[in-house]
Amino acid sequence: MAAKRTAPPPPPPTPNPIPNRRALASGAGSASPSKRMLAFHFLRALSRISSATPVACRTRTIRRAAYFSMARAASPRRSWSRALLRQVRVRRAVRSRRAVLMRRRVVSAAPAPPLGVRSISAGQITSAPLAGAPPPRQAGEPARADALRRLVPGGGEMEYCSLLEETADYVRCLRAQVQLMQGLVDLFSGQ
Amino acid sequence: MSNRRSRASVSEEEINELISRLQTLLPSARRRGGSQASTTKLLKETCSYIKSLHREVDDLSDRLSDLMATMDHNSPGAEIIRSLLR
Repeated sequence: MAAKRTAPPPPPPTPNPIPNRRALASGAGSASPSKRMLAFHFLRALSRISSATPVACRTRTIRRAAYFSMARAASPRRSWSRALLRQVRVRRAVRSRRAVLMRRRVVSAAPAPPLGVRSISAGQITSAPLAGAPPPRQAGEPARADALRRLVPGGGEMEYCSLLEETADYVRCLRAQVQLMQGLVDLFSGQ
Repeated sequence: MSNRRSRASVSEEEINELISRLQTLLPSARRRGGSQASTTKLLKETCSYIKSLHREVDDLSDRLSDLMATMDHNSPGAEIIRSLLR
């Protein structure tokens, strides 16, 4: 009773085909997104870039791809990843349609204000403060927290507690992303 | 009144724990050796750390774009990317 096989099964993807990949994936955090997911999203975005875009704005595109893939790799439970993805979606919609239409839709649906769009086009990824309401201030929250709210995406609307949590997760993800990109640069410059 | 106080004290502890967790993440945590820094200083360090991370991402993406420009389609770098994504 020989095992009947019409076609050989596809070879299972080896976990670490290249030693450098292992260096990239070493020390994967437990709570933060796994480095493999980060690498996967980022590399996929990179491969899409290399053929399409002109050289002039490639830096900006790569940076945007870095934040975008970071947000995709993170758990959608995290408010900062949702805010980042929202920013990207807003920017894409602004590019393709008129700004007036977008403003009307944005004001009714999502809390992202038109101010956020302008600050994005300035080339920075930040969380813009709400157009009208000031961020809710908890008792005992120092004034320094406002600067933190501006840095962490989506931080303008959070309570102080969740802001601290989101900041910790954001810092972990940012650090992983930086390590990933540093590994890639080393890999490519060592050719 | 006691309700308010108990609620406030619980969230105080939570806040302190979150802040200490943040402190362990910062690069200065290794130097400090476990002493409790003031909240304001910690938040300030966190802000500057996040800003420096942003700057590193910008710088690295700049270098990556230069490297990718010089990389042609048949170089081993492209091969690696393709094999990783397969």
